[in-house]
Amino acid sequence: MADKDLEILNDRDLTVGEDVIGDRPRRYQRRRPRNVIPDYVDWKDVDFLRNFIPERGKIMPRRISGISAKDQRRLAKAIKRARSMAMLPFVAD
Amino acid sequence: MANRTYEVMYIVDVDAGDEKIGKLNEAVGKLVEKEGGTVVRMDDIGRKRLAYPIQKKTEGYYVLFEIDGSGQEIAELERRMRVNDLIMRFITVRVDEDRKSADRKREKREKRAEKRASFRPAPAEQAAMASDARVDN
Repeated sequence: MADKDLEILNDRDLTVGEDVIGDRPRRYQRRRPRNVIPDYVDWKDVDFLRNFIPERGKIMPRRISGISAKDQRRLAKAIKRARSMAMLPFVAD
Repeated sequence: MANRTYEVMYIVDVDAGDEKIGKLNEAVGKLVEKEGGTVVRMDDIGRKRLAYPIQKKTEGYYVLFEIDGSGQEIAELERRMRVNDLIMRFITVRVDEDRKSADRKREKREKRAEKRASFRPAPAEQAAMASDARVDN
C-alpha cells in the first residue's frame, strides 16, 4: 500500500516538473463514433446532419467525431448539399 | 440504364403567393410527364426560414420532387428553373445508385448477423470459455 502511494507521487512529479511529454507529438485518443451513420445519408435530414456541425457551422473533423473516412465523405457531401439549399448555414455566428 | 431516380428540390419566392406557387408545382409535374419522366413523389414542404438570406429574403417555400426518368427531363427542367424568376434556388440529386448501395450494405449486414447467430456457441459452452479465460489471467 505504501508502495502504491509512492508511485502515484512520482508520477505526478514527472508530469508537472519535467516537460517530457511536451516534446513528443501529441497523439489523439481514438474515439468511437458517437453516432451511427445510416446506410443512406440523407442530405434533407437536417436534424441528423446538425449532430456533426458545431456552433460555428463548420463540419466536424473526423478526429473528433471518430467516424470512418468513407462515412465522413458521404456526410460532408450531404452537409454541403444542405448548405446550398439554405437548410444549414455556411457560417453561423 | 434508362431508369434513374432523381430528387429535385427548389425554393420558391414566398412573395409569389400560394396560388402562383401551386400553379408552378403543377407546371413542373406536367413538364416532367411530357418529357417522358414520372413523378414518384411530390412533397410540398412549405415555408421555411432560410439559414442565410438569398436575394435579401429570409424565408422560402420549399418543394421536393422525386422523379423517375432518363435524365432528359431533368435537363429540360433545370433549364426552365434557371430562367424562372420565382425559383430562388434549386438542386438535383441522383439518388438511385446511393440507395442501391445502401440496400446492399444492409443486406450484407443482415447476412453477417445471421451467420454469426448460427455460429454462436451454446450458453453452457460460453460459460466454460469464460471461466477458462479467467484462469489464464
